Amino acid sequence: MSRYAREISVAGAFALLLAVLAVFAPGFYQPQPLLSLATREAPTLLVACGMALVIISRQIDISVGSQFSVCGVCVGLLAGMQWPVIALLPAAVGLGALLGAVNGLLIAGLGLPSIVVTLAMMVTLRQGLNLVRQGKFVDLPEGFQWFGLPQATGQWLLVLGALAVVLGFAVALRYLAAGRFVYAIGSDAEAARLAGIRPRLGTFWVLIGLGALTGLAALMNVVQSPQVQPLAGSGLELKVIAAVVVGGVAISGGRGNLGGVLAGVLLLATISPALTHLRVEAYWEKAIQGAIVLLAVLAESARRRWAPR
Amino acid sequence: MTSRLLRLSLAAAFLLPPGAAAADSKLVVAMLPKSKGNAYHMSCVAGATRAARDLGVEFLFDGPTDSNAAKQNEIVENWITLGVDVIAVAAENREGISTALRKARRQGIQVITYDADAAPDARAFFVNQATPEGIAQALMDDAARLLGGEGEFAIILATLTAANQREWQKHIEARWKALYPKMKLVATRPCDDLKDKAQSEATALMSAHPNLRLIMAICSPAVPGAAEAVKQAGKTGRVKVIGLGLPSENRRYVKEGVTDTVILWKTEDLGYLTVEAAVALARGTLKPGAKSFTSRSLGTFAIQGDNILLGKPFAFNKGNIDQFDF
Amino acid sequence: MKPPSRDWPALLLRHEMLLVYVLLAEWLFFYFAGTTTNRRGVLIGFGTLDRQFDILRHSCEIGLLALALTPVILTGGIDLSVGSILGFCAIFLGLLWRDCGLPLPLAAACTLAMGVVAGGLNAVLIAALRLPPLIVTLGTYSLFRGLAEAITRGAITYTDFPAGFLFLGQERWLGLPAQAWLFALVALVVWLLVHRTTFGRSFRVIGFSPEGARYAGLPVERRLALGYLLAGGIAALAAIIYTARLGQAKADAGLGYELFAITAVVLGGTSIFGGTGTVHGTLLGVATIAVLKNGLACLPLVMRLNAAEELAGLLTGALLLLALAAGVLPRIRPFRRASRRPVDSTHPPAVPP
Repeated sequence: MSRYAREISVAGAFALLLAVLAVFAPGFYQPQPLLSLATREAPTLLVACGMALVIISRQIDISVGSQFSVCGVCVGLLAGMQWPVIALLPAAVGLGALLGAVNGLLIAGLGLPSIVVTLAMMVTLRQGLNLVRQGKFVDLPEGFQWFGLPQATGQWLLVLGALAVVLGFAVALRYLAAGRFVYAIGSDAEAARLAGIRPRLGTFWVLIGLGALTGLAALMNVVQSPQVQPLAGSGLELKVIAAVVVGGVAISGGRGNLGGVLAGVLLLATISPALTHLRVEAYWEKAIQGAIVLLAVLAESARRRWAPR
Repeated sequence: MTSRLLRLSLAAAFLLPPGAAAADSKLVVAMLPKSKGNAYHMSCVAGATRAARDLGVEFLFDGPTDSNAAKQNEIVENWITLGVDVIAVAAENREGISTALRKARRQGIQVITYDADAAPDARAFFVNQATPEGIAQALMDDAARLLGGEGEFAIILATLTAANQREWQKHIEARWKALYPKMKLVATRPCDDLKDKAQSEATALMSAHPNLRLIMAICSPAVPGAAEAVKQAGKTGRVKVIGLGLPSENRRYVKEGVTDTVILWKTEDLGYLTVEAAVALARGTLKPGAKSFTSRSLGTFAIQGDNILLGKPFAFNKGNIDQFDF
Repeated sequence: MKPPSRDWPALLLRHEMLLVYVLLAEWLFFYFAGTTTNRRGVLIGFGTLDRQFDILRHSCEIGLLALALTPVILTGGIDLSVGSILGFCAIFLGLLWRDCGLPLPLAAACTLAMGVVAGGLNAVLIAALRLPPLIVTLGTYSLFRGLAEAITRGAITYTDFPAGFLFLGQERWLGLPAQAWLFALVALVVWLLVHRTTFGRSFRVIGFSPEGARYAGLPVERRLALGYLLAGGIAALAAIIYTARLGQAKADAGLGYELFAITAVVLGGTSIFGGTGTVHGTLLGVATIAVLKNGLACLPLVMRLNAAEELAGLLTGALLLLALAAGVLPRIRPFRRASRRPVDSTHPPAVPP
């Protein structure tokens, strides 16, 4: 079994799903709907990229959904105040990074367990947003959609942009020392510390990175339609964590790569439209998603048992 | 110890003038929408708040921040111990909430329902904006009108567990099968009350069913979501969009011709009427068996059995949508 | 050094005692700020016996889930699927009773068994196959909820339960709400199990160091399995009580409950990494959150703002963070401990991040 057996098997599962669709529902393969699907999922891919880094470094962040909602609403409000796009990009990323930094301070700075801290953040942010917005949509100004570009251009920009960011992170993970540090922290923080790496600082930056990516993803989501719903992003954390884990990132840290994450995101994103095309009733969706996650975890266990050491 | 200090200062912030035995002489009306994060329900509450102000009563509202049957029961039970005078509820789940409402009635609290009913013995009146049959009729007839009586259509709803949505769906299907045999309902998909998910679902529906000609979005965030999907797919005009939603959220699409009709009722009026009826009930001016109810400013409403009827659903379209701002 | 039971200053500053202070403080606060008399001269608000009973009734299901989670978290695991198991079992109960025509007591017994079976899936994957609990239970969280939705197609609701059954959730028995007695019984059993049996002690040992436990001869896998089986069974009991309280069984039963349960457990002083924690701490955590949520709804200012629900969420989140921060010093050690490589490196540690 090669080193990338896990990622290959996820890609294989995705290919299998595509094959099933090709045979039973060839209507799936139309350019415009596929592009729309890809554009819709581009924000999820960005957040999954950030989440993968966090999980590789042996932490977890279940507040990304609420962070996404908050950033989306703020970007929408700023856009309504006529901020130019040039200013909105750093604003979105900055706000996300700020929220990530709060998590980072509590988790890396104080050493609090990440699952509980981010649980508290998730609830706090969500309820705070409810209090302020009461569910009301934020209307975006005319011409803001797709950054003012034509739709097709805007869609390709978002999709390619997301892929470029993920590629950048993948390259950084592999070839930069900082990337190696993330794996080191996740594998064995104590050994990393003895080797001269600072695990806490690394954890801090990784959480900020996730926050920044979430902010960027929120911006990408906001430009896709003329209104922002404050509830958008609800359930994102589960979706992203499932995609990352299915993609081969081990929850115990230290293992995984972004290629697998891409495959995981693609696989999970395709399930819902696949069910629609295959005329499967909607109420099977959750059960199927749960089954896929469990299968992915079983595959991980199988890999560990039989992989050569 | 710091947590304790923090608690104490929070307490000081919330503390009101001492006087634990302060008696309140105003009537207290408590309203429970299905959820607080939903613009539709919040606009009902806005109307209700206005009514409370006009009538000079105390008004409380609280609700789950997501649609949750158990939370509604808990809130009603909280109000029982707070000794409110009337409770007005939009029931997320009929049987579940009836348990708590019966308890309230036993304690002498008046109960009225609006938007979604509970069991008849659990409340005195139901302020009905439109019957489920009426809503389904309006939607199905409009769909048939737009498609000329034949063609494929799909439904997007909030969740598969939302009781009133499933009821509307049931009546829509019944009407479709009875009156429009040449039409076909090809799929029903949930969107979890998320506009973006509704957009994805609509995109998938259009590509999975190439002959789809109409999308019926019966949860309010789904209408703009489906409309955006149709627009992005370049199928404006070829795939029609209708649904139940707020004019403010759909104005753009209606004006651009993507969405044909948005059906709703005047939500603020619904809220206003509910509070008026609640107060009348508490004061004794509205009694069971009454045949009509006269509002201060909204006119007279017929009472059918124990349903106070707001009227028929209202269709917002290109011609009239600018007159409304909710 | 004084023996632990005589060291009064340390005893009074223990996490559970701090929680008792917080609980007392908020109870008293809500009592004075949230109790008034209404127009009719009747005492209303937080200080009424009805209200206190309501707090008890509303927190039984989450309390049961928190009790179910305590042994699991003590072993260093986690179970995100307890809320979904609740929903699944509620549907199962309705199905057996209405569609299969079983008498309710039998249906309830079968539901308890089904809860254990559901927990068994987690047990097999986590204990036998050594898969990470966070992800396994994330998967079963979707799976069980999905099964509940699939069985009912989302729409079917089971209602019209007989009055004898509804008594359990809605009426009082010997002065207290009926379900409170069941809850007290389960609390007692779990407390005895965790604190007074060798089983229970082994949970904490496994959480502290699974490898050490293994070398000490403890049957680690079997104990872990027991924790998840028990969690499933208790979740089924919570499902029965939930159905009785609401008078209906629907696929969305218990949605979101697991997060509150985990919050209560952590608030109560159990470390999420395992190894330390108490059942009475969990009970205090449940009480603190229940009183907070309920008490806020009684404050006139909060009522005026119509923000009870949001404030309850905000404050619970803040309280959780404060509780963690207040216990920072002893918590730092588990953070380092959790990152230590186990001796046997072919198996992952049972400790989640």
